[in-house]
Amino acid sequence: MPQLLSGLTEQPRTKWLLFFLVVLAAAFAIDFSGTGLSALIMPLTGFGPGDAANATDRLLLAIMLAAFVTADIFVILRLPFVVQIGVVWAQLLILFLAFFYSFDLSFPFIAARLPILIFTGAFTTIYVSLISIGIACVIAMSAALARLSNNGPAYGIATFYISFFRGTPLLLQVYLIYLGLPQIGVTLEAVPSGIIALSLCYGAYMAEIFRAGIQGVPDGQAEAGTALGLRRGLVMRKIVLPQAMKLIVPPTGNQFIAMLKDSSLVSVMGVWELMFLARTQGRSEFKHFEMLITAALIYWLISIVFELIQSRIEAYYGKGDQR
Amino acid sequence: MKLRAITGVLAGLALAASALSATAGEVLDRIAKNKVLVVATDAAYPPQSAQKPDGSFEGFDIDVATEIAKRMGAEIKFVTPAWEVITAGRWGGRWDLSVGSMTPTAERAKVLDFPAVYYFTPAAFYVHKDSEYQKVEDLNGKKIGTCGACTYENYLKKDLTIDAEGAPPFEYLVTPGEIRTYETDVNAMDDLRIGDGKRLDAGISALPTVVEAIKNGYPLRVLGEPVFYEPLSVAADKGDPAFSAKLSDIVAAMREDGSLTEISEKWYGVDLTKGN
Repeated sequence: MPQLLSGLTEQPRTKWLLFFLVVLAAAFAIDFSGTGLSALIMPLTGFGPGDAANATDRLLLAIMLAAFVTADIFVILRLPFVVQIGVVWAQLLILFLAFFYSFDLSFPFIAARLPILIFTGAFTTIYVSLISIGIACVIAMSAALARLSNNGPAYGIATFYISFFRGTPLLLQVYLIYLGLPQIGVTLEAVPSGIIALSLCYGAYMAEIFRAGIQGVPDGQAEAGTALGLRRGLVMRKIVLPQAMKLIVPPTGNQFIAMLKDSSLVSVMGVWELMFLARTQGRSEFKHFEMLITAALIYWLISIVFELIQSRIEAYYGKGDQR
Repeated sequence: MKLRAITGVLAGLALAASALSATAGEVLDRIAKNKVLVVATDAAYPPQSAQKPDGSFEGFDIDVATEIAKRMGAEIKFVTPAWEVITAGRWGGRWDLSVGSMTPTAERAKVLDFPAVYYFTPAAFYVHKDSEYQKVEDLNGKKIGTCGACTYENYLKKDLTIDAEGAPPFEYLVTPGEIRTYETDVNAMDDLRIGDGKRLDAGISALPTVVEAIKNGYPLRVLGEPVFYEPLSVAADKGDPAFSAKLSDIVAAMREDGSLTEISEKWYGVDLTKGN
């Protein structure tokens, strides 16, 4: 209690007043009439739902909201840092779910379709993305090394490839591979076409990440290796690359999470990935929101899992920095 | 000598061209060999084609396709490429047939074969149920939504040519103020349900699709009588006349023995196989 009090006096009150007024203005600017929120507050203010447009009513609601938000932040700031994060996440999540809940969704409809969304949709999305990111890494490393080499043709091919695949939309690449290749006699199935398109496109982006990572290792490291009499290949493998990985992993994880969602573009070829099934299932009974929200939550969960995996890999390659 | 060289080149080109498209009998041979008929369906259009929770399909088109496969003595398998991939043609043997309520326009006939019209669907305007519009002509100058690159957009643009046999004549009754196009015509319904005149004033789509949407709680209302009847055909890739001939025989037989009418009544409640 004394701690809380001293915290109170340390904070300039004007700052809190200002904060309160800003939230109040924002809350007043939004018309909550007719929403669940105003129905909740209505009995307290004494105005019926018919008076929703009433300015006093709106002001009262705004004041209560602003007071609540200010008090909420005030209390949260007094907690330990880790608890602060937990509480903010929990509150935002509740708000988020309440927002979805207000759409009046049909939960039996979602429950009936959850198995196909997860076991066919999410499964396809993940395996297509995993294979693609693997191939993309190999392509990216080759292209990055070619760009850093003194070999003219290799440099030319690498820059041409990077320029084209970064410079055209992924959807167009999907179409080119799926519909274009059969014109020259190569007919690929939908999933391989999708994997090729994703690998080539992301390989081009990641080539630049890999190049930047390799160039980010100070020249002195390679020079020291050479001075010790190591061959060039060995210097690259044992000295430069392990240090480059620390710089490469975070943006690569970023690319992978972006790919998870971009893989929805392969649905134009009829691959039953998450987005395709969400759209198709939703249309069967004209219940789009049910499926779109479910798919959004599944995508989000997958991303969170892979973010955790990424932080583990980062910790592994960052262990050189630990003391 | 020179002439011979040129004819040689031309023959080579022709050979290459024929190698690219399916050669005669190839599709039919493949179906006979594998005992599987692969049908492309765009499962976004109940009651024509929709996906069930277990991943299988149902609808009028699905039943017609299943019946065709049965009469060919083959199992049926559905694949689900995007509509524009189906209509682009040059399927490369990935699937054999489209039973997808496709209108046989002159433009599509350049890349696809249309062996048999199997039913006629009425196209109708719809408005929000709170709308004040009472007849089709009230929509002059209004914002009307529909699918992009489809016959409804062509109708709104007064650029619709249906050159199939037995297609009833029609008139352009509306001059829209603005045409908004979407990926499918169902998207237009989603925009109209937000509120009357908020994003759209009206839409045009297949009458069965509108009725299905209303049945599923969309706040819409059909406006007036259907404005045109579209003949809808099964479609096959170019290059296998034997397969196309077989398809038109099978559909003719299904029309003859009443099984087509039966499927239509099951899904639409009326017989749409005869054309208004």
